[in-house]
Amino acid sequence: MTLWFPLLFPLVSACLLLGFKNPRTAVRAALGMGIIEVLLLGFCGWNVWVHGVLQQGKYLRADGLSLLFLINLGLIFVVVLGYSAGYLKHIPKGRFSSSRWYYALLFLFLFTMIAAYLSANLGILWIAIEATTLASALLVGFYNTKGAIEAGWKYLIMCTVGIAFALLCTIALYLAAVRSGIPAGRALDWTVLMTAAPGMAAAHDLLKLAFVFIVVGYGTKIGFVPMHSWLPDAHAEAPAPISAMLSAALLNCAMYALLRLDAITSRAIGASFTHGLLITFGCLSLLVSVLLMIVQRNLKRLLAYSSIEHMGVVALGVGIGGPLGLFGALLHAFNHSLAKTMLFFTTGKVRDTFDTLRMDRIRGMARALPFTSGVLIVGGIAIVGLPPFGLFVSELFILMAAFSRHQYLVAVLMLTAFSIGFGALAFHFLRMLSGEPQAAPGKAKLLASEVAAICACGVCLLILGLHVPLVFSAVLHHAMAVLQ
Amino acid sequence: MGLVEFAAAKTLASSAVFLFITVLLIAAARRTATCIALFTAQCLVIMAQIIASAFLYHSSGVLLVAALVLLVKVLAIPYVLLRISRRLKVSQNVSASTTPAQSVFIVAALILLAFAVVQPYARAFALDSEMLAAATAIILTGGFLMVSRKKALMQVIGLLVLENGIFLAAFTTTFGMPLVVEMGIFFDLLIWVLLMGVFIFRIRETFEHVDVSRLRQLRG
Repeated sequence: MTLWFPLLFPLVSACLLLGFKNPRTAVRAALGMGIIEVLLLGFCGWNVWVHGVLQQGKYLRADGLSLLFLINLGLIFVVVLGYSAGYLKHIPKGRFSSSRWYYALLFLFLFTMIAAYLSANLGILWIAIEATTLASALLVGFYNTKGAIEAGWKYLIMCTVGIAFALLCTIALYLAAVRSGIPAGRALDWTVLMTAAPGMAAAHDLLKLAFVFIVVGYGTKIGFVPMHSWLPDAHAEAPAPISAMLSAALLNCAMYALLRLDAITSRAIGASFTHGLLITFGCLSLLVSVLLMIVQRNLKRLLAYSSIEHMGVVALGVGIGGPLGLFGALLHAFNHSLAKTMLFFTTGKVRDTFDTLRMDRIRGMARALPFTSGVLIVGGIAIVGLPPFGLFVSELFILMAAFSRHQYLVAVLMLTAFSIGFGALAFHFLRMLSGEPQAAPGKAKLLASEVAAICACGVCLLILGLHVPLVFSAVLHHAMAVLQ
Repeated sequence: MGLVEFAAAKTLASSAVFLFITVLLIAAARRTATCIALFTAQCLVIMAQIIASAFLYHSSGVLLVAALVLLVKVLAIPYVLLRISRRLKVSQNVSASTTPAQSVFIVAALILLAFAVVQPYARAFALDSEMLAAATAIILTGGFLMVSRKKALMQVIGLLVLENGIFLAAFTTTFGMPLVVEMGIFFDLLIWVLLMGVFIFRIRETFEHVDVSRLRQLRG
């Protein structure tokens, strides 16, 4: 039952939350349920950690890789929940329709992501990933403005088409597995596929084609260039905590699916093709996104492009491979989610004060909003990969892997892209921070829950930057062992 | 050979042709209601094929999948689509960027392309190349509908057609995925259609049109 409880509890809470008509009680109830859910997740995680692998029934399974991503999801969810409690109070009544719907959808979104991490089966994984799109689409369009509706529409269409291709390749993999002699009822299970993968080499061409579809399909959801066009829209138009959730939790969820399928396909047809493809998409995403970051005008779009950049880095880490590259990639996915959450949290306050997210219209932020500006600077330093924060360490690992595996061109590309990204962020941030504020309206201060949420991210990033704790490093090694 | 087996074999042998006819007709259709009817017809052909193969290969479990197709794709989804299209009260025109004749021509070309593409795989895995080509052609037609029709509802239909193709590909290659997975996929599809309905109404309320090609606020 250890796996069923954390999976089903968010679903139950989502239904219960719809019953709270009073916004205040809805917020409190959501906080309470969130805490219970995280405790359940923690208990489940502890069990996975002790037993190594936990299998329940035919369809639920958790191993080292699920554990790492579940820790990530749990952490982000707590912070988002804490931040939302304060955020909802700032939002003017007309813009925010109903907090119970907001929280119910948020819990539903959580449920779909947990389902993705706990599924033992490729088909169920696909269903869960598609369900993440469905659960979050209404959250993306929550403000019901023209932009939000367009973004929600685009998100639903693009991600579903992308994911449909992933379904096609799931079928191809299933076909290859069934033809190599695996009984049809079990031919979609991870474990069965991982052990049987070397025997599927006969379907070499089919698997190659399938992997291209996998990268295109799940890559749409991850935000690889050129399938990324939904991502900046959705991130920019969603409420700030949801942007954080999309960038930090959803992208990692799709990346998790890609990692699993990459491991299976690499075993079956050798890693050179699969990893070559990942490196190609990684480089493309990295370069295009940093170049587009220069010309952005909206703060949230800038951050969204930075997410594409970092997903590209993760793909490069996996693609370069080796223990160092994979370790770096997993750590980077984790670090990026923390840093990006922190940065997206600042945007709520910025919008609240200046009534816009257009960076060319924001001046003198440092004086108008000292704390938020400080967070923006710290988050900016973290996200461009400067010490003493976690992203520095993970990017260094990936670069080291690139050099040690003689991928010099990739390493040079990465360094170039990092410098461009640094320049773009520094330019935009410094322009917003400097100058005289144009009569900034004195609005409500940040609430304690918001400050706590932001600080939690910062502290975690700092710890990971100074020294990866031994326990966490062990978790990462467990996750890597699953993939190799 | 009994009459049932004979009918089943005939259905299997001719269903690819019927599927090709439906995609060509969808390409030629000018009204959304016609497209919905043709989509339903396509689902009916697929259902007939599933039932036929259930009889022919004596696998009663497949009949459950056929029942799912009937419930979700033949009844629920067309009903929702028709309701949306009626309640929208906008013109029925699909507002295509190609004329019907051009569309039919393009879809015919896509069918030929599908036949060419699937040959090596059909040979390697000893599969029925006609059905596989039909599945591929349906997928390609769905994609073509999505890029060439501007009405929001037509994009939904395009994606549903595309999904039909994927479902057919799964069925012809592997005799369908495990039942739990199929059910999950159908459930996702149904929720997706409902959500798209919500968004179509919101688009009409805020933009006062349902022409998706005119949604261009967000750029860069």
